[in-house]
Amino acid sequence: MSLFRYASSIYGGNDTLIGANYGLLPWFALAGIAFAIAHAIFKAVAAPGRPG
Amino acid sequence: MTPASTVSGRVQRHKLVDRAYHWLMAAAMLILLVTAFLPILNIKFEWVGIHWVTGLVLTAIVLFHIIRACFFQNFWAMMIDSTDLKAPLAKPGKYDLAQKLYHLAISVLVLAAIATGLLMWRKVDTPFWQRDPYWLSTESWGLVYAIHGVAGMALVTMIIIHVYFALRPDEWHLTRSMLKGWITAKEYQDHHDPKRWQPKD
Repeated sequence: MSLFRYASSIYGGNDTLIGANYGLLPWFALAGIAFAIAHAIFKAVAAPGRPG
Repeated sequence: MTPASTVSGRVQRHKLVDRAYHWLMAAAMLILLVTAFLPILNIKFEWVGIHWVTGLVLTAIVLFHIIRACFFQNFWAMMIDSTDLKAPLAKPGKYDLAQKLYHLAISVLVLAAIATGLLMWRKVDTPFWQRDPYWLSTESWGLVYAIHGVAGMALVTMIIIHVYFALRPDEWHLTRSMLKGWITAKEYQDHHDPKRWQPKD
């Protein structure tokens, strides 16, 4: 799935960039949640009690 | 640590003006993301006016922050220095390496969103002008929209990570400092290197 959206030109030629692919929005949100879960597991298992 | 902070048992970490900036920015960011992405998620409402006005507010407060950071605060406190790279896990100054990297990433994303947002403003009818969709070429508008959109989605990721750290119990002293302005003298000693950060309160 591309990060960007393209439109076909009615005159032919190359596709034109028209913006971001907002279909990826849930994946960006999931990336943040995945980071939080991974960090929480790391802190609980690999470095318990370590400040910061 | 100065005698004043020893006596009070508290060390000032964020002044009121900086806390106000942080929470104003948070409110603006949430309004911008909600007005940007709810219509994409098929929740339709008149979002354009709210979005560009809030974008202007964000632009103004970010400009204020840049001026304040450059001329009225210790600008270098947020810059990555050689000690951060040589000993990234050592006690930091006011901010640790992860916080500095986070700030750098947020800065790039917010400045990209602001710069492209200001350009996109030309395609909106405002009290100051009528929209001009031909102000840039189709290809240039595409690039502007792409950068604005990717920055917006990446900010969703970054805000989730920010809220996660704010809610972690081992970071509550920092969250409290963004609400009340201070950390305790013990928290200062436990989490910071006095040689790298001397609070001025």
